[in-house]
Amino acid sequence: MANLSFIIFCPLVAAVLIALLPRTFNVLFRAVALLATGLSLLGAVRVFAGFDSAATGLQFEQHFRWVDALGIGYHVGVDGLNVGLVLMAALVAFAAVCVSREIRERQQFYYILVLAMAGGILGAFASFDLFLFYFFHELALVPTFILIGVWGRGAQRDYATFKLTLYLSLGALVALIGLIALYVQAGQTSFNLLHLTRHLALNPIAPGTQSWIFGLLLFGFGILVSLWPFHTWAPLGYAAAPTAAAMLHAGVLKKFGLYGLIRIALPLLPAGAQSWMNVLALLCLGNILYCGLVALRQRDLNHLLGNSSVAHMGFAFLGIASLSVLGVTGAVVVMVAHGLLAALSFALSGFLYHRLGTLEMDQMGGLLQRLPFVGGVMVMAMFAGCGLPGFANFPGEALVLFGAWESYRTITVLACWGALVIAAVYMLRAVRTIWHGPPLDRWKDLVDAPNLWVKLPYALLLAGLLVFGCFPRLLTDPMQPVVSQIVQRVQGETATP
Amino acid sequence: MNAVLPWLVLLPPLLAAITITLGALKRPVAAARLSIGAIALSLAASLILFARDASGVTSFTWLQVGGLAVEFGLRLDPVSLLMLLVVTGVGGAIHVYSWGYLEGDPGRPRYFAGLSLFSFAMLGIVLSSNLLQMFVFWELVGVSSYLLIGFWHARPAAAEASKKAFLTNRVGDFGFLLGLVLVWATTGTLDLGELETRLTVQPGALGTAATAIGLLIFCGAVGKSAQFPLHVWLPDAMEGPTPVSALIHAATMVAAGVYLLSRVFFLLDAPALTVIAWIGGLTALLAALMALQQDDLKRILAYSTLSQLGYMVLAVGVAGTNGTPVAAMYHLATHASFKALLFLGAGSVIHALHHQQDIWRMGGLARRMPVTFLTFLAATLALCGVPPLSGFYSKDVILVLAWEHHASLLFLLVVFVAGLTTAYMFRLLLVVFAGPARSQDPDHAHESPPVMTVPLLLLAVPTVLAGFWGIDAWLGRAYGVAPSPAGSWAEHLIAPFTHAPVPALAGLAAVILGGGVAWGLYRGALRDPLPVHLGRLSRWMRDRFYFDELYDRLIAGTQDAMAWVADAFDRWILAGAVVRGLHGAVELGGRALRLVQTGSLQTYALLLAAGVVLVLAWMLFR
Repeated sequence: MANLSFIIFCPLVAAVLIALLPRTFNVLFRAVALLATGLSLLGAVRVFAGFDSAATGLQFEQHFRWVDALGIGYHVGVDGLNVGLVLMAALVAFAAVCVSREIRERQQFYYILVLAMAGGILGAFASFDLFLFYFFHELALVPTFILIGVWGRGAQRDYATFKLTLYLSLGALVALIGLIALYVQAGQTSFNLLHLTRHLALNPIAPGTQSWIFGLLLFGFGILVSLWPFHTWAPLGYAAAPTAAAMLHAGVLKKFGLYGLIRIALPLLPAGAQSWMNVLALLCLGNILYCGLVALRQRDLNHLLGNSSVAHMGFAFLGIASLSVLGVTGAVVVMVAHGLLAALSFALSGFLYHRLGTLEMDQMGGLLQRLPFVGGVMVMAMFAGCGLPGFANFPGEALVLFGAWESYRTITVLACWGALVIAAVYMLRAVRTIWHGPPLDRWKDLVDAPNLWVKLPYALLLAGLLVFGCFPRLLTDPMQPVVSQIVQRVQGETATP
Repeated sequence: MNAVLPWLVLLPPLLAAITITLGALKRPVAAARLSIGAIALSLAASLILFARDASGVTSFTWLQVGGLAVEFGLRLDPVSLLMLLVVTGVGGAIHVYSWGYLEGDPGRPRYFAGLSLFSFAMLGIVLSSNLLQMFVFWELVGVSSYLLIGFWHARPAAAEASKKAFLTNRVGDFGFLLGLVLVWATTGTLDLGELETRLTVQPGALGTAATAIGLLIFCGAVGKSAQFPLHVWLPDAMEGPTPVSALIHAATMVAAGVYLLSRVFFLLDAPALTVIAWIGGLTALLAALMALQQDDLKRILAYSTLSQLGYMVLAVGVAGTNGTPVAAMYHLATHASFKALLFLGAGSVIHALHHQQDIWRMGGLARRMPVTFLTFLAATLALCGVPPLSGFYSKDVILVLAWEHHASLLFLLVVFVAGLTTAYMFRLLLVVFAGPARSQDPDHAHESPPVMTVPLLLLAVPTVLAGFWGIDAWLGRAYGVAPSPAGSWAEHLIAPFTHAPVPALAGLAAVILGGGVAWGLYRGALRDPLPVHLGRLSRWMRDRFYFDELYDRLIAGTQDAMAWVADAFDRWILAGAVVRGLHGAVELGGRALRLVQTGSLQTYALLLAAGVVLVLAWMLFR
């Protein structure tokens, strides 16, 4: 089972299988989806456990030729950078299927889309071929639009779907232009990432060209990750999305842009990276401070979580902008931590929406008395969101701040304020409004998560946050060789102008 | 050093907290047993370590990335050993007391889980060998304090207080974390032992950043120890159950700031120490003034805690770069026992009066609750600094420090505050325990059960005797101070008067004067006579000098205003004008172009002709 193709194709094959089943086999759709994502998760755990952090290079590598004429191949593998991301993605996928119990309409189509999304995400993170990387991303992205459009909720569903689709398609398109430019500049021989890296290390692209290609990738990927000021799709989209789609997109698919920046843009375009980092560092303040402040004003829980999620992305951007080993490592830890946290938060808010029929925080109050389990987990998630030690977000954000100090002092100070104070203000205000205070009569018939099976997805995601928070070396140790390699490539560019 | 024992101190409370959360949330008795058993185990392990006078570090690497290596270590030396005894000893007594105090409350398992989580985090701070590790536990005590202040979270006041406490602390922690980043950027290490070695070998290693580092780390202490200007959260924190106030908001957590300062004392330079001394002095004075006009039993004690913490912080500041923070730690240790005792005594009174906390509805309780009264009296005298109780000796050390360092203004301030302390404590004592009953409530009061009075008696022992145990000499060893030859207990009794008579006598005079004023004003009084004498000043003291109102305005004027602007910009400009504007422009363009696509041949022919004419005209008349 410790086989990357198995992890990727489990959900995809299951999606095909469900498509072939008769339309009335409702029970079976869910069972097949659970089985597929469960097996995929087991595989990812096996890969993570079997990963040798002392070794360098790719592990669990699989390589088949595909379109020789263009240099496209099926090439998957893991190194320290993506081994944690694959595990996180598999965990979120399983949890997303678990919480899809609430879906009652068109279940067949729904599970096909969710599984396609899961497979696409896992494939994108495991790919070492540019074409495959982009192909898997699109495979995951298109179902997102349909999921929100068909199973979405709220008055603004249509506008949200429309906006999110336009933004994300635009981002993907700009990134695609950048990737094609990269391929053309590298001699049009291969989409293989390892070949490209080796080739471009020996024959670097001219700095001016690097700069504009990097700009395309930065903004293309940036839009996908809701880089300020291209972020307004995110809170709106997540508020309208069905729970599983919000979990998979905010948690995992969104990280594709960050991953692309670290995996492709930094090492292949070191001079370009140098020229854009000051801009990125400034823009990330837009995420951390501005979106943090916007989150303060939200009355709808999902808008709050959406803005908070956008704000957290700022730390990953700051880590990348610092171009230091600490910062980039911190950025990847933030990606994993935020993946688990966003999935957990949206899963819980989905539970609340399902039970209450609203997410207006003013209409809640005193819910902790009625929902001790869900409330307790959400309070913990909110503490994780304001960087409390013990949860995985803390080592990530701390590493980013330590790493960024050298290059960007003022920005680090402001980011630190955003991390410790602003995040705590909006999170604790939300805890106060939703969970604390006298219990309201209208919610007196609420029922908490009834059994272990319902609690499982929340418990798993929370456990992930706690394990990586208490033992961050599980993530950071495997990452060391590849991150220092990338940082050296970029820093080497300044040493030899 | 035994490598297992320190872990046996740290881990049992954590395991208890986890076990209760996972399995005993509906079983109060099991939860209480687990929690009390865990702290007893920690106490036993601490006692063994103390008896062996253990020292050294046991550690593993928690995080290693690039140049940042963070060890998770447990460091033992005289300072941490003493603090371990304070936390597990006072903590143990309070765990037992809680069982009686919370009898019948349905939330007991949650309470004991929180208490155990707190004990774990606090022991973690004490044992930390590394500054980032200390920050981790620093945040964890913050969150356990949040959970316990908000224990009765259905009460809006408690929910607000817990939020305020956490957020105010976060402001301090912001400085603390930046201080850590700066320490690491300057020296490349966060390990306390290594930092100390480096600074001993090379005193100027911090360069120009020294003062900034000292003050930033002090920010953390300002938050946690509730020093001015972040003192506002502590009085509100009294919304938590009384044993929590005793343990967290009097004896241990709020003292963590002082402990932090004594841990990083070698990092602090002269300008930083001056600031620290004045912040401490200012807090001591303001809090004592506020305490004089409060009517809530627990709040009076809370302001008293603020004031005493101010003393400790001042003691760190006036020690000077060549001195040691022994005086501060000494006062921390004695204060932990007598202030915990005061709170537990107050809890006993509140419990007996069915949660009545207004002192002007009490009176004459001395006869009805003799054990509570006697232990409360001992603790009051110790707090005021009456010889030969523990507080006298630890406070005298601070007075001597201020006197010997010629900080004359601060010396006068400390003496004045000592007088104020006696005044507000005797006011409390006279109104609650003496005089006539001022309402019906005290008529039905009776002494609390043994599960509550035994901890009172246990805590009374160090309250009375800790002055003779040579705590200062024990602590001094950690800072390389040679212990003075031990004399007989009688010599020790009068040592302050022979060694430095002026501060000792000044302190004593302040106590007598303050006590006399309180006696004159409050003996048998039915309502507070002070507002008549002081007028507006009294109202300012009662209203806490309007700091809360000022901060509310400040937050509304800055952060909330900025949030409003950001939200409006996001809603109307970014998502509105720009995105919808682009959307609208594209749509309008589409509609305009659609007009052209009529599908009628005549229109197309007309347009074609018009185009040809235009092109021709342009070519001819160019």
